[in-house]
Amino acid sequence: MEVIQTITAHRWTGERQQHWLLALLAASLVLAMLIAAGMGAVHVPLWLLVHSMIGGESLSADQRIILFTIRLPRIFASLLVGGALSVSGLLFQGLFRNPLADPYVIGSSGGAVLGASIGVFLLPPISVAGFGTTALLAFVGALGSITLVYWLARADGRTPVVALLLAGFAVSTMLSYSSYFLEVMDHDFGTGMRVLASWLHGTIAQPTWPQLAIVTFMLVIGLAGSVPLARNLNTLALGEEYATHLGLSVQRTRIAVIVIGSILTAAAVALGGLISFVGLIVPHMLRMVLGPDHVRLLPATALAGALFLLVADTVARTAIAPAELPVGVLTALIGGPFFLYLLRKTKQGVMS
Amino acid sequence: MKPLIEFVRVGFSYGDKNVLRDLDASVFENQCIAVVGPNGAGKTTLLRLAAGTLAPACGEVYLKCRDLRILKQREIARSVAFVPQNVEVPFSFTVEQFVEQGRTPFLKLFGGLCAADYEAMRRAMELTDTWSRRSRVFNELSGGERQRVKIALGLAQQPQMLLLDEPMQHLDIGRQFEMIDLIHLLRREGIAIVASMHDLALIGGTFSSVWLMSPDVPMRQGSPEEILRPDVLEIAFNTLPHHRSRLLERMRNPMEYA
Repeated sequence: MEVIQTITAHRWTGERQQHWLLALLAASLVLAMLIAAGMGAVHVPLWLLVHSMIGGESLSADQRIILFTIRLPRIFASLLVGGALSVSGLLFQGLFRNPLADPYVIGSSGGAVLGASIGVFLLPPISVAGFGTTALLAFVGALGSITLVYWLARADGRTPVVALLLAGFAVSTMLSYSSYFLEVMDHDFGTGMRVLASWLHGTIAQPTWPQLAIVTFMLVIGLAGSVPLARNLNTLALGEEYATHLGLSVQRTRIAVIVIGSILTAAAVALGGLISFVGLIVPHMLRMVLGPDHVRLLPATALAGALFLLVADTVARTAIAPAELPVGVLTALIGGPFFLYLLRKTKQGVMS
Repeated sequence: MKPLIEFVRVGFSYGDKNVLRDLDASVFENQCIAVVGPNGAGKTTLLRLAAGTLAPACGEVYLKCRDLRILKQREIARSVAFVPQNVEVPFSFTVEQFVEQGRTPFLKLFGGLCAADYEAMRRAMELTDTWSRRSRVFNELSGGERQRVKIALGLAQQPQMLLLDEPMQHLDIGRQFEMIDLIHLLRREGIAIVASMHDLALIGGTFSSVWLMSPDVPMRQGSPEEILRPDVLEIAFNTLPHHRSRLLERMRNPMEYA
């Protein structure tokens, strides 16, 4: 009896808050998906969607085609990309013990783009094997670049902000732009070029269902791997020596975070290319509500990231219709000032 | 009686700078040891060797007669808690989330905290008088409070021995006296303590023995009365003869004025 009392007395005050937030995010996500499915050149009203889902009035053949071959794949793609980017951002922030880390900022996205581009020029990305190769090479690229940045930026077991940002910037620029060399190999100026251009702008292309399946698989592995890592990142926040003393295998945790973070980055890049700052904005917003505990942040970050990018991508494809804005342009416009604000805060010594 | 920690002919060096040589020493249950000595004498190194985060270059360190090298760090951390001097937390963890990290050596890969973990955390925070601060942000606490919370993290490991690295550093005199009280309390709880200390005046009446370390000289062990003598300290700290009166002044226990 006494034990039970202690447990309830001990539950963090934020626990209920967390459950409410998760429920709220999930509900908003469903609503946003329905609204996004209806928006575009051919308008499908919300009531019609809901009605057809519960088995009432059915959609016309045209509406079906638009929904199932164009809108829904695109919607799922943005959910996957947003979730993957946000969770990898959270992991990298924990690893670098720095809230400014983000797959784009630290260069792992750049490496993934280079890897993915090589994949595209090797095999047509439309085929399942081709897309699989692309995703795999994106993973290799992400892994390589983050390892390089980590090695460059670290000094005496610490990762100074400035070193991290500069190393990330340099590696990212080098790698993503060296993708242009691949143009030379592309003799017929066909798919490869177009895919590459859209990657560098950060556009969520029109994915096929098999492509979505591959990326979903990567996201599931990435999320499953993140679950045991979240608690380790809390311990790692105390610093390497302290974490080691407490029995955490720092080296193993570091490698696991880099591998899992790279899988997630590769998943995002394979569908959306260089989309900046999402992994920075989403975890930071949630930290303001839930606090810094990675265990609590993980599920909320995945959901909020999916929601954020779905909204951003829906705005990007409808705001200046019939033209389309790459969603990466939009996130850069929102995320850039946000990044600078965080940098300013860090400079004041609050979080360095 | 078996010693908790035993150093046997331990040597350690950073690069080619020898810090410890042929160190033999033991810590027993209920002992409360102050490690003193000039900067660079190897006080923190000694604590790290006992905590298992450094491995000796030669010799052995035993935890309850078992070689530290064959023990997993998780096992060590369940008996020995190391409280470092400086902790930088990049995120705004609450006191409770901070203390929770002390349960790390008990947690399984996929397991969460159970009732026993919460009980240990609560006990640790109550002993250090930080329970009422549990929802506060660690980084926003005063120096004295932070020091107590760090000790609470160590106590959450439910250790038999606490290693305190400069626990009085940067504390005002009132907080230093509170820390002395806390050390007395922990001794009554049956926890052995090894603390590196700069302020010699705070040792008498609290610590049961003193280890005096100085570079290139074997470590000297004894009661506070044996070690805290001007002639012994003058040599160890290499103070000038005309500073003797100041040295005496520094060694006087401020508790005596109370």
